[in-house]
Amino acid sequence: MDLLFWAPVLCAGVVAGASTGLLGGYIVGMRIPFLGICVAHAALAGAVFGALFGLTGPSLLIPALAAACLSAVLVGLIDPQTARADINVVLGILFSLMMGLAFLGLGLFSVYGVSDNEVRNLLWGSLAFCRWSDVWLMVAAAVIELAFVAAFYKEMRAILFSRTCAAAVGVHVTLVWTLFLLLASLVLTVNFQTVGGLMIYSLLANPAVAAARLVRGYGPTLLVAAALGAASGLGGLLISALTDLPTGAVIVILSSLLVAVAALAGRLVNRRGG
Amino acid sequence: MTTAAIDIEGLRVVHGDRSLISLDRLTVAAGQAWTILGPNGAGKSTLVKCCVGLVRAVAGDIRVLDEPVHRLRSVALTQLRRRVAYLAQVLAPGSEMPLTAREVVAIGRTGRAGLCRPLRRADWHLVDHWIDRLGLAHVARRLYAVLSGGEQRKTLLAMAMVQQPELLLLDEPTANLDAYWREQIVQTLDQLHQETGLTIMLVCHDLEAIPCCARHVLVLREGRMLAQGPVGEVLQPELIERLYGTGLTVVRRGSRYLLAPRTQGGTA
Repeated sequence: MDLLFWAPVLCAGVVAGASTGLLGGYIVGMRIPFLGICVAHAALAGAVFGALFGLTGPSLLIPALAAACLSAVLVGLIDPQTARADINVVLGILFSLMMGLAFLGLGLFSVYGVSDNEVRNLLWGSLAFCRWSDVWLMVAAAVIELAFVAAFYKEMRAILFSRTCAAAVGVHVTLVWTLFLLLASLVLTVNFQTVGGLMIYSLLANPAVAAARLVRGYGPTLLVAAALGAASGLGGLLISALTDLPTGAVIVILSSLLVAVAALAGRLVNRRGG
Repeated sequence: MTTAAIDIEGLRVVHGDRSLISLDRLTVAAGQAWTILGPNGAGKSTLVKCCVGLVRAVAGDIRVLDEPVHRLRSVALTQLRRRVAYLAQVLAPGSEMPLTAREVVAIGRTGRAGLCRPLRRADWHLVDHWIDRLGLAHVARRLYAVLSGGEQRKTLLAMAMVQQPELLLLDEPTANLDAYWREQIVQTLDQLHQETGLTIMLVCHDLEAIPCCARHVLVLREGRMLAQGPVGEVLQPELIERLYGTGLTVVRRGSRYLLAPRTQGGTA
């Protein structure tokens, strides 16, 4: 195993797993895992249109982030009560719109005779080819995420429980909720270009679901979700490096296995009266 | 002179072209406990939500703790909500996050502690104090989601009390509870009112759920006031007949009331 090659890759796996796992703690907690797909597809649509306008490489992050933030702000602006629709319905509509825009953009590549290889990589990610510059970007996003969690720890706990309840106890829900959506856009977009749209969804959902079955309490669940995310990323990469199996698939399957193990462990603990 | 905790004048709330509330006047003095009574769809919950700005009125004036709720901007409204505890009718649906009962009670301190400031030791002392006082110590470390309906209501009541509110708004705090838990909640409310002198506004549609401390009642039907005043004067058989039909009447036991089937002779 070439450590020089694998060091940034392993670090990226750990950071991506931990930061999306932590974010997943909130997203799964609020029962809106669709937010992950919605924002990821918005980022993809942004990157596609950025590429159509001639952007390449890391500069694609700018239109991707802009589109992701725009979709997040839209989610924040739509009040499910006024719209008379569950938030997941709203997210479903936005997701299909973003996917439509992304595929429209991909279709335009052939119309204009431009190669779409770089953009297609976003769907699957390029974790095995990431460099230290990608890792630092992911670390920066993770630091911002940690700062948000530290600053709005108790406000997010109230929102997790119930947005109405949070508003009633005097939390500025619109402010905190919008900031959270923007944070989700940042974390997902930054990790998206390395991890890929499909794998990010499993890292968002699986570690958080597993954590909720293993521990009780808000802080412990977030901590364990981040740790399981990191373990999925690192474990998947190591298995992939040693066996030559596809990285993304191994990480997705490993994180899914963690859910099954956590569910079994949770049942055992409950049976013993824990 | 007694100050008003809630002062409503000409309040009108609509949803589409349907009128939800049309209330000329209601004044709840500080320290009083009121019950809002009425059948389903009477506008009881909407009225309580108006008091904390969760529902907006199209006309009229509503002042809560001397603040004009519907003219407040978001920051001022948030500050008012920190002084008012509101318990929603539907038990919070719970999230996938495995929150313990103690953590749920602590949510009540969130607004009071201030934005971006962690809960301090004094906040947690207050949380534990109300957990003990409401007899929840044995379930404090358990998951809120697995508590019984009655325990969840008490947890939410503790959450409201750690807020140290000046006004307590309760939307059907005994809904879906069996007689044991209903009495537990009713007695707790009586005890709280007696010990703290807190202004309470309580929504219910069962007479059995009216605590002794609630000496005033507002009766709503289809968003309009049917009657208001002292409980003993308002809860007359004629009113019950108008509200619930001819088959039922009101029975008084001490300072509590209950609905009973009317016998052939016309009484319960």
